[in-house]
Amino acid sequence: MATHRSCALWSYCGRRWSRVMRCCRLPGFRSSWPRGPLGARHLSQEKQATETHFGFETVSEKEKGGKVYHVFESVAKKYDVMNDMMSLGIHRIWKDLLLWKMHPFPGTQLLDVAGGTGDIAFRFLNYVRAQHKRKQKRQLRAQQNVSWEEIAKKYHNEEDPLGGSRVVVCDINKEMLKIGKQKARAQGHKAGLAWVLGDAEELPFDDDKFDVYSIAFGIRNVTHIDQALQEAHRVLKPGGRFLCLEFSQVNNPLISRLYDLYSFQVIPVLGEVIAGDWKSYQYLVESIRQFPSQEEFKEMIEDAGFEKVTYESLTSGIVAIHSGFKL
Amino acid sequence: MATLLRSALRPLRPLGGRRGPAADVPLRGVRHGAGLLYPGHIPTSPLQKALLAAGSAGMSLYNPYRHDMVAVLGETTGHRVLKGLRDQMRKDPEGAEILQERPRISLSTLDLDKLRSLPEGSLGQEYLRFLDVNVVISVSWDRALRRNLHSAQRVSPDTRAPTRFVDDEELAYVIQRYREVHDVLHTLLGMPTNILGEIVVKWFEAVQTGLPMCILGALFGPIRLSAQSLQVLVSELIPWAVQNGRRAPCVLNLYYERRWEQPLLALREELGITEPPAVHVRGPA
Repeated sequence: MATHRSCALWSYCGRRWSRVMRCCRLPGFRSSWPRGPLGARHLSQEKQATETHFGFETVSEKEKGGKVYHVFESVAKKYDVMNDMMSLGIHRIWKDLLLWKMHPFPGTQLLDVAGGTGDIAFRFLNYVRAQHKRKQKRQLRAQQNVSWEEIAKKYHNEEDPLGGSRVVVCDINKEMLKIGKQKARAQGHKAGLAWVLGDAEELPFDDDKFDVYSIAFGIRNVTHIDQALQEAHRVLKPGGRFLCLEFSQVNNPLISRLYDLYSFQVIPVLGEVIAGDWKSYQYLVESIRQFPSQEEFKEMIEDAGFEKVTYESLTSGIVAIHSGFKL
Repeated sequence: MATLLRSALRPLRPLGGRRGPAADVPLRGVRHGAGLLYPGHIPTSPLQKALLAAGSAGMSLYNPYRHDMVAVLGETTGHRVLKGLRDQMRKDPEGAEILQERPRISLSTLDLDKLRSLPEGSLGQEYLRFLDVNVVISVSWDRALRRNLHSAQRVSPDTRAPTRFVDDEELAYVIQRYREVHDVLHTLLGMPTNILGEIVVKWFEAVQTGLPMCILGALFGPIRLSAQSLQVLVSELIPWAVQNGRRAPCVLNLYYERRWEQPLLALREELGITEPPAVHVRGPA
């Protein structure tokens, strides 16, 4: 009993103690964490099996999907502007770093899940296009005694500027996909891009189809993260790579406090002033706190069957890139 | 054991509510109506209120169609003044009744047919006419986020967003009442809903209520006006508004719902409001 009360106390002392809280998984304490098979289920016998978190709220699992959908439906139009405002433009660097880590080459088949507005997909296309051009230049330079005719032919026979690469953008939310398609048109991306409406927990693709599976800032919104990871494992080809860019736990205590202050004080205000939507951005910062730490997430990825799982923390752990291989 | 832990944790607690009790776990339970002061209430820390006030002030100047920003500005800056207004309402008999009964002016509570059937020249008739005649082109942000519409929207009592950031339930009602009475004020003062008319009403309200949002709106609203409109404003309209604002008793103390039948002119006489000067609309003000 005493320990139960003390656990409640820990919870009242703020989210920074969330890690401590998570260790304090006693029966009757805050209900479910969407864990891998052995975790919370074993310990919290009294909670109902169908409850999960929506930010700091507790909702039924059925509700969560709908609520998350609603959030992204309302933020879709202002999504990119708000990203720039909230992260002061740093999110672009994070996404660039994800691409550099991915290091795709012409011919890579990418599945970008929860990629609604297309940031990763467009970066992928640009990267691959640049790679292809460089490859062509190298080939030309390597060839000796090439006639002008042959050079002209090389540049004219531009059947596929992407060199066979394709990206499929999959998102559960129609509004986000709409915005993504508009951006694609505006930026002139036509070839090599497909937009699919689908659920990360139940992907509408066959097994062993993709070389790379990426999910940027999307997996924390999924109701059953372990299912999403299993799906990722299924649709990847053997040798395929899983990459996840997501908000994570800050390792530096001073920066953590500043980050918390900024997240909880400034971001909902920004949401209200710029997008007219306080609650969605409150959900955003709370869902970040609910997401497991780098190590825990790494274990979840390993549970799904991936090997050689590593992670790299960026900006003191504000975000982390997790990578795993299906071998 | 529990007290030991508590004392151990105390020095590690974040300072002065800056971490936002708004965001922390205990208040989250509050989100589900358990401790919310009124439906739609969003508890905010002083820092958040300050940021909201600054942000909404800037945004409403930048985009005057963001009515929700004006509302937020009012809520975050008006606490002290609202207390004064509420106390003054309590002293007045009609005002006290309003505070007790909490009437609301919205399309669901108004009996439109009854209002239409009222005699010509009555407050109810004039109010209805005002609602019908004034078309406000506004970007409805809530819906725009979903449908990207620029909606030509009739002014209706329901375009007033509910109060969210006031941390007292009675004061939340007072500011809600102020917003709903705003349209009736337009009718009372005979001002259209173009920008010139709005500024005049804001001056009147600023003198009457003293709300910082009204004062800011009255001072900064004219920034976007042409020189001609500005001249008319300063020479005729503002002095008239200020004079009448000073003279009239607090308009929040009037139980409008009981006064629909009262002729508008009689009401104006009762409040000491003189004939409003004509507001010429020459293209976009």
